[in-house]
This record gives sequence, C-alpha cells and structure tokens, in this order.
Amino acid sequence: MQLQYCLILAAALFCIGIYGLITSRNAVRVLMSIELLLNAVNLNLMGFSNYLDPSNIRGQVFAIFVITIAAAEAAVGLAIVLAIYRNRETTDMEQFNLLKW
Amino acid sequence: MLESLSQIIWLVPCYALLGAMLAVPWSPGLTRQTGPRPAGYISILMTFIALVHSLLVLSYIWQHPAIDLSFPWLQAADLKIDLDLKISTVNIAALVLITGLNLAAQIYAVGYLERDWGWARFFSLMALFEAGLCTLVLCNSLFFSYVVLEILTLGTYLLIGYWFNQSLVVTGARDAFLTKRVGDLVLLMGVVALLPLAGSWNYDDLAQWAATTDLNSTAATLLCLALIAGPLGKCAQFPLHLWLDEAMEGPIPATILRNTLVVSTGAWVLVKVQPILALSPVALTVMVVVGSLTAIGASLIAIAQIDIKRFLSYVVSAYMGLVFIAVGTGQGEIALQLILTYTFAMAILVMCVGGIILNNVTQDLTQYGGLWSRRPISGLSYLVGIVSLIALPPFGTFWAWLKLTENLAVKSPLLVGVLLLVNLLTAFNVTRGFCLIFFGEVKPMTRRSPEGLWALVLPMVITVGFALHMSLILKQANLLPNFADINWNLSLVLIMSSLIGIGSSAFVYLNPTIAKPVRLPFSPVQNFFAYDLYTDKFYKITIVAIIDSISRLINWFDKTVVDGVINLIGIATIFSGQSLKYNVSGQTQFYVLSIVLGLTLIGALLSYSLLGQAF
Repeated sequence: MQLQYCLILAAALFCIGIYGLITSRNAVRVLMSIELLLNAVNLNLMGFSNYLDPSNIRGQVFAIFVITIAAAEAAVGLAIVLAIYRNRETTDMEQFNLLKW
Repeated sequence: MLESLSQIIWLVPCYALLGAMLAVPWSPGLTRQTGPRPAGYISILMTFIALVHSLLVLSYIWQHPAIDLSFPWLQAADLKIDLDLKISTVNIAALVLITGLNLAAQIYAVGYLERDWGWARFFSLMALFEAGLCTLVLCNSLFFSYVVLEILTLGTYLLIGYWFNQSLVVTGARDAFLTKRVGDLVLLMGVVALLPLAGSWNYDDLAQWAATTDLNSTAATLLCLALIAGPLGKCAQFPLHLWLDEAMEGPIPATILRNTLVVSTGAWVLVKVQPILALSPVALTVMVVVGSLTAIGASLIAIAQIDIKRFLSYVVSAYMGLVFIAVGTGQGEIALQLILTYTFAMAILVMCVGGIILNNVTQDLTQYGGLWSRRPISGLSYLVGIVSLIALPPFGTFWAWLKLTENLAVKSPLLVGVLLLVNLLTAFNVTRGFCLIFFGEVKPMTRRSPEGLWALVLPMVITVGFALHMSLILKQANLLPNFADINWNLSLVLIMSSLIGIGSSAFVYLNPTIAKPVRLPFSPVQNFFAYDLYTDKFYKITIVAIIDSISRLINWFDKTVVDGVINLIGIATIFSGQSLKYNVSGQTQFYVLSIVLGLTLIGALLSYSLLGQAF
C-alpha cells in the first residue's frame, strides 16, 4: 500500500499549491504555487510509474517532460511578471483587477 | 315590356346608388368653382327614374302573381347565401312609397338647404338611404335585410352628423349609431341562430318552417326576443328610444325620411318575421307590452315637449309602438297599412314644421303664435296632417285604427283602451302644436313669417293631396272594410277619442284665460315627461356607467397586470445581467477558484457513485 500514500502526499501537495495559487497576493508566489502543483503532478507520475508500470516506466518519461515544460513556463511566467512590474511597479495580484466587468 | 321591367326591378336601388355616386364630385373639396347644386339635381333625377320604374312595375304586378328572383351571392362549403328578391304588390307599393317620398324630401331639400354648401354629402346620403330602403323591401331574405339594416344604421350616423361642427349633432349621431347598433347586433344573434334551426334565411322558407316546427319553447322565446331586439332599436321603442329624440339635430329633409320610413325599416322586418314570432307567446307578450308602454309613454312625453321637432319625434315612437302591438297580436297586414297611412301624415307634419322653422328660426313652441293668417298653406297642410294621423274618418289612418281595434276588441279589451288613450293623447299633442304655432298672439319671433319657396311648399302640398286621397287609394287596394261590416260602436268610440283629444287641446290652448305656458299643478310630473323620463340619466347610470367602469378596469388591468408581467421578465433579465456581470471580477485568482470549484463539482458528480461505494 505504498502507492496510496504517495498519491495522498501528492494530492496534499496539490491542494497546498491550489491554496497558495488562490490566496497569494504576490505574483511570484503564485508562480511558486504553480510549481508546487506541477511537482505534485510529478510525484503522481513517479508513483504510478513505480507501482503500476515498473517495466516501461512511462511515467518517469512524462515527469521529465513536465519538469522541462515547468522550467520553460516558470521562465515565461517570470517574464510576464517582470513586464507587468515595469508598467505597474507592483507585483500585488489585487492591483491587477483592471479587466473586470 | 312591363314584364321585362319587373324582371329588372333590382335596378331601382341601383339608380339611387348611381345617384349617390354621381353626387359626390360636387363636394366642395372636389368642385371648387361652381357650387354644389348639380349634386341635388342629379340625385332627384335618379330618384324620379326609380319612381317611374317602380310605378310601371306596380301597374304590371297589380294583376299578376308575385315573382321570385334569386342571385347567388356566396357559396362556401355547405353554406349557400342567395340574394332573394320578391316582386309582389306589397313590395312594389312600398318601393313606390319610398321613391316617391324620397323625391318629395329631396325637392324639399332643394328649398331647405338653399344656403348650405354640403349638398353633395346630403344628397349622396339621401340616395344611399333610398337605395337601402328599396333593397330592404325588395329582398326576401332575413340575412340581406340585416345587411341593409346595418348599412342604414351607418347612413343614419352620417346623415344626423351632417352639420358636425355642432356638438349636440355629434353626440346625437353617436347615440343614434350606438343605440341602433345594439339592437342590430342582438338581431344578428337571432339571424345566426335561425340558420341551423330553419336551414334558410328566405322569408317564405322561414314561414314554412315556422308553421311545421316543434321548437323547444325556451329556444323559441330567446330566438324571437333576439329578432324583436333589432326592430326595437330601429323603431325607437322603449327603452332604446332616446336616439330618435337626439336625431332631431339633423337637417329637416333627412328627418322627413327618417321619421316616416327609416324607423319603419324595423317594422318591415318585424312584419316579415311575424310567422316566427308566433312560435313564442312570451315574445308576443313582450312586443305588445313594449309597444303599449312606448305608445303611451311617448305620447305623454310628446305633450310635454316644447321643441317643435321633438314633439313630433315622440309621435313617431308612439306610432311604431302601435305597429309593435299590431304585429304582436298577429296583424302584420294591418301594421303595413298603418305604416302606409301614417307615413303620409308624418311626412306632411315634418315638412310643414320644417318650412315654419326655416322662416322663423326658433324651434321653441312657446315662441310661436299667430301664423294662421299668413301661412295658410302650411296651416291647412298641418290640419290635413293631424286628421290623417289620428283616427278620424274618412281620412286614411282611421281604417287601420279601426281594423286594429276591431281585432283587439275580441282578443284583449285592455289593448283597445291603450289604443284609445294613444289616439286621444296624439290628437291632443298634434292639436297643441297646431294651436301654438298658428293661433294665439303673434310673438316677436313670428312677427314676419312669409310662406316658404315653391320647393318647400310643392312637395308638401302634393303629399297632402295623397293623404287626402288615401281612402280612395286604400279602396283601390281593397283594404277598406265593407260598409255593412263596420263596427259602428268601435268607430264611434275611436272618433270620440280623437274629438276629445282635439277638443280638449283646442280648449286649453285657444283659451286665453289659461296661462301660457301651461304649468301642471304638480311640476315634477311635467318635468318627468318633459325630460323624456330622464332616459339620458338612466342610460348614464346604468349601461354607460357599467361599460365605462369595466372599460377602465380592463384598461388598468391591461396596462398594469398584462403589460407588467411581460415587462417584469425584461426587467428581471436586465437585473440579472447587471448583477451577474460582477462575477467577472478582474481577479485572476478568482477565476482560478471558479475553475477549481467547477472541476471539483464535476469530479464529485462523476464520481458520485464511486463515493457511495467507498463509504
């Protein structure tokens, strides 16, 4: 019964990420929360590949892809944050509510 | 030739219609240069042609049996409506009467409307009336009678509303249209209900059906009451009588036609449907009661009037009441005879009064007096009008009165009393008018009063001639009773009632010791009749008030409830849009929360069954 614990840990990490994603006021911390989500997913992938697919370990291949994509995404995300910061001189998410009704 | 003329008798209404159309181009708006007179001349010419045609056909049909003509009008599925014409002596005689009287009224109008620009409109409408009346007497189908009655109702509206810049004319025309329309609409119910029962609208078929049918008595009563309601309004019977009083706002030449013939249209239909009415004793009783009440009530009202036109209009209601009594007791023939003789008398009276109004301006009877020495022709004509109106031998109407009383004496002596009373009151009333207009002191309004122009006097005198020869005309038509068969007692009583009426009226109004205007010792009674039993107030607090308040209620309901419900939907949509847009908060994290919540919800729904297994 190792897989369940692994999955529960990943789910907990995902939920923590979601919480951080929704509540953080700092845009960089939002990106950090997204990293948490992605890492929770990676944990899942690793767990599944270990316990369900030990021979082909396709999950691990997936995880590598996810890590690379996450790196690129974080880079682009930080670029966006920087671009916003140049204009608005803040990274507070609550200041970015310009596109409302 | 005469036979072919009788085959094309349907041209008679067409002449009049043609005249109506040809008169229109002389409306002031179309012909701006030459004045409206040719309109009248054309209309008179057309009426004359119609009269000659009718007379020729009358001379032919006198010795020949009736001819039935039928033209298909509409055929749809099982419904087949034919325009049936009947060419019989009675119908053609009525045609002659209509065209003749219209000719007289139109020549009269040439004099009366001398200083009026609306000839095109007036003569068009008179011609329309002639066409309608001719069609009514020719057509032998209840359906087309109804069609014509409605057209005539519209014609009445337009003709009364001739001088429409006067406010009383507008209200009078309105009342005349609505009151007659109500009667017509109830008549329509009867007409429509009759088709499934009888299968035909042809009067002959209806009579045949009525003779053999065993109709449920309730159905028969309702049907007959509906058939009575139309003529009730047309003939200005209680309680639909106010319109005739207000219709006196129209021009006099039109009044000639209305007081004599137009009100008789209802009576004509009534006579025609008499076989059906015989199915229901209740309806007959209603007719007799309405006729009696109207005859007595209108006679009393007439005596209390001081308007020279209105004191005659109530006589019209009273005489139509007599026609109701006659038809209600199954004496259609006598009703027609009464209409024939009454028509001449009333035409004379209206023409005479019109000529007097034209030269004296006022219509107030109390402003008149002392015209006898200067208006002998009018005076003599009026006298002939009186004697041919009431029961006085050897003049025409007496014979109708006599037959009516003779037949009623057997059935119900009470009605004989009603007849005698009406005769007495009418005699009193018309003699009152005579004394007030022609005798007594000369008043300021009547100081200079020349006799009218030839166009006013000629038709009046010719009508007087016919009225004086009425007994001979009736003799030709075999309508006079044998000298040996005359009930002398009844004749004597009738003559006595007439003489008492004339005598008492002459005593009151020619006696200088009685103060004029005469005041009754109890003035509420006098006012009650002078104000026409307060009928206008009665209408106002009953039917008008009900319809008015219901209309307002419905209008309110429509504007608030019906419109409100629909508007509420719109408002609710706007409100929801306006308030739901705040979901688009502009906060990215809020959107993420919505996505997460949505996904969680969908996930929960998808895995609902699995969750149940887990616990």
